[in-house]
Amino acid sequence: MTSLLRWLGAALLLAGAAFLLSDYHNDVYRKLLLWVTLALSYNFLFGICGQIAFSHFAFYGIGAYSVVIFLFQFHLPFPLAILLGIALCILFALAVAIPSTRLEGFYLALATLALAQLFIVVLNEGGAVTGGPGGLANYKLPEILGTRIRGPWYTAVIVLLLLGTLAVLWRLDCSWFGRACRAVRDNPEAAAAMGVDVARTKVIAFTLTSALAGIAGMVYAFVDNTVNPPIFGLDNAFLLLFMVIVGGAGRHAGAILGAALLFLLPFVLSPLIGHHHVLVFGGLVVVAILLQPRGLVGLYDAIRRHP
Amino acid sequence: MPSAAILEVRRLTKRFGGLTAVSSLDFEVREGEILGMIGPNGAGKSTTFNLIAGTYGATEGEVRFAGEPILGLPPHRIAARGVLRTFQHNRPFGGMPVIDNVLVGAHTRFASSLWAVVGGKALREETERRKRAEELIEFVGLGELPHADVSTLSFGQGRLLEIARALAGEPRLLLFDEPAAGLTLAECERLAGIIRGIAARGIAVLLIEHDMHFLLPLAHRIAVLNFGVKIADGLPEQIRNHPAVLEAYLGSHAAT
Amino acid sequence: MQDFLELAVSAAASGCIYGLIALAYLLMIRPTGIINFAVGEWAMVGAFGGYLLLSKFEWPYPLGMAAVLVFMLGVGWLTERIAVRPLVERGAPLLAPILALLGMLVVFREAISVSFPPDPHPVPYALGIQHQSFFIIAVTSVVFIGVWLFFERSVAGKSFEAVAIHRRAAALMGINLSRVTALSFAGGAGAAGLAGLLVSPNVSAHYLMGVPLAIQGFTALVIGGVGRVEGALLGGLLLAFAEQLTVRYAPIPAGYAQGVPLLLLMMFLLVRPTGLLRAK
Repeated sequence: MTSLLRWLGAALLLAGAAFLLSDYHNDVYRKLLLWVTLALSYNFLFGICGQIAFSHFAFYGIGAYSVVIFLFQFHLPFPLAILLGIALCILFALAVAIPSTRLEGFYLALATLALAQLFIVVLNEGGAVTGGPGGLANYKLPEILGTRIRGPWYTAVIVLLLLGTLAVLWRLDCSWFGRACRAVRDNPEAAAAMGVDVARTKVIAFTLTSALAGIAGMVYAFVDNTVNPPIFGLDNAFLLLFMVIVGGAGRHAGAILGAALLFLLPFVLSPLIGHHHVLVFGGLVVVAILLQPRGLVGLYDAIRRHP
Repeated sequence: MPSAAILEVRRLTKRFGGLTAVSSLDFEVREGEILGMIGPNGAGKSTTFNLIAGTYGATEGEVRFAGEPILGLPPHRIAARGVLRTFQHNRPFGGMPVIDNVLVGAHTRFASSLWAVVGGKALREETERRKRAEELIEFVGLGELPHADVSTLSFGQGRLLEIARALAGEPRLLLFDEPAAGLTLAECERLAGIIRGIAARGIAVLLIEHDMHFLLPLAHRIAVLNFGVKIADGLPEQIRNHPAVLEAYLGSHAAT
Repeated sequence: MQDFLELAVSAAASGCIYGLIALAYLLMIRPTGIINFAVGEWAMVGAFGGYLLLSKFEWPYPLGMAAVLVFMLGVGWLTERIAVRPLVERGAPLLAPILALLGMLVVFREAISVSFPPDPHPVPYALGIQHQSFFIIAVTSVVFIGVWLFFERSVAGKSFEAVAIHRRAAALMGINLSRVTALSFAGGAGAAGLAGLLVSPNVSAHYLMGVPLAIQGFTALVIGGVGRVEGALLGGLLLAFAEQLTVRYAPIPAGYAQGVPLLLLMMFLLVRPTGLLRAK
C-alpha cells in the first residue's frame, strides 16, 4: 500500500509541476521527461542486460511515425493506430533480435546501427507517406471521449508514461527475469549453466525495451505535433548511450540522473560553447569510463562509503 | 546401500578431428553417491564433464539422466532437468551481490510468468526463494556475506558461492569441476564436509578431481581415466592399490 | 561499354577507400579485439589535414600527404594511450575501450567542428581530377601490398599475428603487448587518415563525413572477413560495385543507394558474419 501511495505522490508532484510552469518551460520539461523515459528503457537493455544497441531512437521513431501515419493517412481509429504501432515495433524488434542472438555480442550493435541508418533512409525517401526529409506536421492529437488533451494535461500524460515505464522496468528488474538479464550480461556461459536461456532472455529484453521506446514515441508525436528524420538519427542514439554511461549504467537512478544532466547541461553551457556541447559529452564519457565506470551513481555510492 | 542410478553414461565417445578425447566410456552415478573421476592431464575428464553438462555434443554414445536422454541438449535445458555444475575457474556474476548470484542458480525453479512479474504478483515467490537462498548461503559457510560484492570474496569464498549457486537450482545431480583446486587445506576440509552434506541429502555428485588426497577419503566410488579410456572403477581402497592406476597416474605417490 | 568502364574505375576507387577504412578496423581488431568506430572520424581528420596543408598553406602534394600521414600515426598512438591502454592494463572488459572510443569519436568530430567553419572545405587533387581514381587505386595497392608483406614476411608482422591468435601466449613468449597495440592503433589511424585524404577532393572535407565512412568501412570488413588483409580490400570493392551498380541500373530512387551498404551489412551479419575469406 505504501508503495502505491509513493507512486501516486510522485505522479502528483511531477504532473503538478507542469501546471506551475510557463509554456516555454513546459515544453522543456516535457522533453526532459521523454528523455528520462527513453533512458530508463535503454538502461535496462544496455546497463542491465548488457546489450549494446543503437536502435532505440529508431524504435522511438517507428512509434511516432506509425501512429501519425495510421491516424492521418490511413484514418484508423485511435486505439487501433496505437496497437498497430506497438505491433510494428515488436515485429521489427523480433526481426533484428532473433537472428542476432546467434552472433557475438557486438554484432547486435552493428545490426542495430544499420537498422537505425536504414530507418532514416526510408524516412527520407518515403515521399508522401513519411513526408520525406521535411517529415509530417500540422496534425493534432485526436479527441478522446470528447476532450482534447493539451497543455499541462498532456504533460501529465507524459508523467504517466514515465512512471508506467519505470514501474514495469522496476518490477522486471527485481525479479528472476532481471537477474537473468544481469547474468547474461555478466557471464553468459555461467548463466546458461544455471538454466538461463540466454538467447531468449536477450530477445525478450530487446523486444520489450524497444516496444517501450515505441510507446514513448507515440506520446512524443503529439508534443510538437511534428515528426521529422533528424530527431531519430544516430546523434541522439549516441547521446542516449552517453547519458546512461555518465549517469551510471545498470541503475534506474543512473539513467534518470544521466538523462537529466546531459539534457539540461546544454542550456547551462550554451553561453560558453555554443552548440558544441556534444564535445563535452564525449569528453565526459571518456572520463567516466576511465575514472568511474559506474557513473555518477557509482561516484555517489563511493563517496557515501568513504566520506 | 544400492539406490537407483540417476546418471547413466554408455559408450560415450568424443572425437575432435583426428584426436579421440574420450573413447567408449561407460559409468553411472547413483542417487546420494559421490563418484570421483580422476586421471592425469589430458585423460578426458574435462571433456566428459563438458559432454554431460551440454557444452558440446558427443560423437557417439548416450547419456541418460533420470531415464531421459540428455546428450546434445543445450546447457540451459540440462540445468532445467536438475543437472547443475560448478566451474573450475570461478565464474560469479560480478555485477550482483552474493545473494543474487545464488538466486540465479534457482532460475529454473521460479514458476511466475513474466506477466505475473509485471503485474506485481510474483513477490511472494521472490520472498520465499530469497529466504531459501539465505539458508543455502549459511549452509556453505558464507552466512555473514549475503549482500557482499562478489569482487570482495576470496578465491575460496568464491568457490563456496559456486556451490551455493548450483545448490539453489535444487539439483538431483551436481557436477563439480576440480573444486579443490587452489584451496587451502582448511578450505579443502570444509569443502569435503559440504560435499558429504550434499550427498547425504540424496543428491548425486560427480566430482572431477586431480587431487588424490582430497578424493580418496571423500568419494564413495572412483573411476579412473587415462587417454580417454576408463582403466578402473571401484571403491577407493581398490583404486588406491590398482596396478594399472598406479602405473598410469600415481607413480611416485604410490607410497601414500 | 565506355560507360561501364567509367563506372568500373569509379567503383574500384570507392572500393579502395572502403578497403582502407576496413583495413584500419582490421589492424586494430586483430591484436586487441577492439572495434574502433572512430576510424570514420580519423578519416575526417585526415581530410581536414589535407585541406589545411594542401589548400590553405599550399604545400607541395607529396610533402603534405606525408605530413598528414605522420600526424595521423601520432593521433592513433595518442588515442590508444588515452582511451585504450589505461583500461586494458586495468583488465577492464572489452566493452570499456569500445565505449571510450565512441566518446573519442564525438570528441574528434566536435573538435574539428569547433575549429573550422561548418561549410565543406576543398582539398586539392593529387594529379588532377581525371587521374584521381587511378591515384587512389595506386596508393591503395601500395598500402595493401606493404601491409600484406609486413604480416607475411616480417618478424614484427608475425608477432602481430601471434597476439591476434592468443594474447596471453604471445605475452608469455615475450612479445610486448602494449607496443603491438600502440602500433596497431597508429597504423589504423594512418590507413583511415589516408582514406580521408584520398576521398576528400571529390567530396570535400566536412565534419559529418565520418559516420557514413565508418559504416561503409565496417560493412566492407564484414563482407571480406576479419581474418585476412586481402579481405578488407575485397570487401571494399564488392561493396562499392554493389552500390554503384544499384544506383546506375536499379529502378529505385537514388537516395536509396545509401541503403545498399546497410542492407548488405545486415545480410552478411545474419548469413555470413565471418565474411567471405577465411582466416588461415
